[in-house]
Amino acid sequence: MIETERLAKSYRKNNILIHVLTDITFEVSRGEFIAIMGPSGSGKSTLLHLLGFLDRPDAGTYRFEGKDLSSADDNALAAVRNSRIGFVFQQFHLLDRISALDNVMLPLLYLEADDPEGEARAARALQAVGLADRGSHFPAELSGGEQQRVAIARALINDPVLILADEPTGNLDDKSGADVLERLGRFRDSGRTIVLVTHDRKVAERADRILVLDSGRIT
Amino acid sequence: MTKACARLLKGLRYSFRILAAHRLRTALSISGLILGVATVIVMAAVGAGAEHRVVEQVRAMGTNLLIVTAAPAPLVAGRARQVASMTTLRPADADAIVEEAVRAVAAAAAVIRPVVAHWQGRNVPTTILGTSRAGLGIRNLHPRSGRLFDEVEERERRRVVLLGPSLAHALFGSDDPVGREIRLGGVPMDVIGVLEPRGTDVSGGDLDHVVVIPLETAMRRVLNVSYVHALYVQARSSADLPALEVEVRGILDRRHARRAGTPEPYLIQNQVVLLRTERGATRALSRLIVATATLALLVGGIGVLATMLLSVRERVREIGLRRAVGARERDIHLQFLLESGLLATMGGAAGVTVGVVVAGAAALLGPWDLVLSFSAALLGLVVSAGVGLLAGVVPAVRAGKLQPIEALKGG
Repeated sequence: MIETERLAKSYRKNNILIHVLTDITFEVSRGEFIAIMGPSGSGKSTLLHLLGFLDRPDAGTYRFEGKDLSSADDNALAAVRNSRIGFVFQQFHLLDRISALDNVMLPLLYLEADDPEGEARAARALQAVGLADRGSHFPAELSGGEQQRVAIARALINDPVLILADEPTGNLDDKSGADVLERLGRFRDSGRTIVLVTHDRKVAERADRILVLDSGRIT
Repeated sequence: MTKACARLLKGLRYSFRILAAHRLRTALSISGLILGVATVIVMAAVGAGAEHRVVEQVRAMGTNLLIVTAAPAPLVAGRARQVASMTTLRPADADAIVEEAVRAVAAAAAVIRPVVAHWQGRNVPTTILGTSRAGLGIRNLHPRSGRLFDEVEERERRRVVLLGPSLAHALFGSDDPVGREIRLGGVPMDVIGVLEPRGTDVSGGDLDHVVVIPLETAMRRVLNVSYVHALYVQARSSADLPALEVEVRGILDRRHARRAGTPEPYLIQNQVVLLRTERGATRALSRLIVATATLALLVGGIGVLATMLLSVRERVREIGLRRAVGARERDIHLQFLLESGLLATMGGAAGVTVGVVVAGAAALLGPWDLVLSFSAALLGLVVSAGVGLLAGVVPAVRAGKLQPIEALKGG
C-alpha cells in the first residue's frame, strides 16, 4: 500500500534551511493500522501530509498502491485525495455553515463521476459513526467527539483505501477519544489501511505497529 | 451536464449561506452596486420619459408638418425695429402653397401674439393663436366642450373664441365658459368652445394656455396686422418633407422677391429634423447616464473585490480542507467566482428593486414623466453579474494558489 524510500523534506524559514524529514524509508501493507509517534516538531505531520499528497517531498520516492505519483499533476493528486484517501484532522475542519450531512457529502462535490447514491451513502456513513440522527445539525451544535465522528464519516464517504489521521484525539476528552479510536479501528477491520499520527503512547498502542520519529528520522 | 448544474447549484447554495451569515458585510459591500444600478434605472426612466414626451409632443403636432415662421427682423443701424419679426408672410401664401405644391395636403396661415384676456375683473395674460379652419385641422385642435368655429364665422370675421383648458380654468374656474363673453385686448369675444388638453411643448410651455380665434378676426379686429407669423404646411407623410420643403421655399421665393444678399425673411422648420434634434439632446443625456453608471458600477465592483479578498483570507482553512478532500485549483476558482458573481447579482437585483420603487414613486407622486425600461433593468443585472465575476477573478486566483497544506495550517 505504502512504500517510501529515503523521503526527505525541508523548509526554509528566516533563510535557515530546516530539515524536517530525512531518509524516511518504511512500508505499510494493505489493511495495516500503524501509528507514527514522536514529540512535537519531529516531522510526524509533515510525513502524513506527504503520504496524503497534500505536499510533495524534496527527495526520495513514495509509492502509493504500487505507483510513483511524483510526476503526477495537481489535478491527478486531487483526484487521488478525493477517492483513495480519507483525512481526519485534529481540528476536525468541518465547515460551520452547513449541516453535518452536507459536511459528509463535501467530497462528493469533487467526484469525477456522477453519484446519484451520494446522499444515501452519506447517511449510511453518519450511521456508521453513530450519528444517524444528527445529520441536520450544524457543527456548532455537536460535541467535539461528535464533530470528529462527522469528520470520520466524511473521510469514509468515497470508500478510500487509506485513512490518514493527524492527532484525531488531540482535541477530545479521554472518553470521546477512546470512542473515536475504537471506530477508526473498526474500519481497519473492513480492509482499509490506517496511518495515525500521535504523540500519545496510549493512543499509539491501539495500532498494529508503531513508527517512532525523532528529529525527522525513523528511530 | 446535469452533474455540472447540480454542482453549480450546490456551490451557489453554500455561497449564499456564507453571504447570508455575514449580512451586514454583504449589504455594505454591495451598497455601491445597489446605488449604481438604482441610479441607472431611475436615470434611464427619466431619460426615456423625456424622450417619450418629446416624441409625443412632436407627434401631437404631426411629424408630417413644415412650419414656416417669419424670420426675426434684422437690426437697423444697430437697433431693433418696432416689429420683432419680418412682415413678409401673407395669408395668401398658404393658399398658393396648397394650390402649387404637389406634396402639400393642407396649409394654413397663423398669427401668434401675446394678449390679455379679461372676464369679470380677471385679467389673464395669454397667447392668441389666429388661424383658419384648415389650421385647426393641421394643429389637431378638437373641442372638449362647445364647438370649433365654422366657415361662415371665419369668412365674416365673427368675434368667436376657443379657450385652451388651462386658460379656461384660469378665467372661469370650474364654471362652463361656453356662451360667455370675454374680452381680448378690449375686443369682446363669444366663447364657443373649450379645447382638449394638449400638455406642454418641447421646451415646457403650456400648450393649453391659449385662445384660438379665426385668422381674419385676429388680423383685422384684434391685432390689426396685415401679415402673419407662421404658415403650417402638411405633407402626406414625413418622407415627403424634404421635397416639400424645397417646393415651399421655391413658391415663397417667387412670391416675395428680395434683393440678392439679403437674408431669407422666413425660417422653415421641419418637424422630423426637430424630432431628431430633440432626440439627440436626450441621447446626450443618456450618454451622461451611462458614464455616471459606469463610474458607480466600478466603485461597486471595488466593494465586491474588497469583500471577496477578505473572504478568501478568512476562509483559508476551508479552502485547505476542500483541497484535501479533492478540490482542484479550478474548483476553488469556480467557487469564489460564483460567490462573487452571486454577491454582485444580489446587489444588482436589490438595485433594480430600489430603482423601480423610486422611479415608480416619483412617477406617481411628482410631476415627472418617467418611463421604466425593462432593458435598463436587465442591463443593470447583467452588468452587475459581470462586475461581480470580474471582481472575483483576483480573489479566486489567490484562493486557488493556496497550497492545501499551508491552507490547513490556517495560512
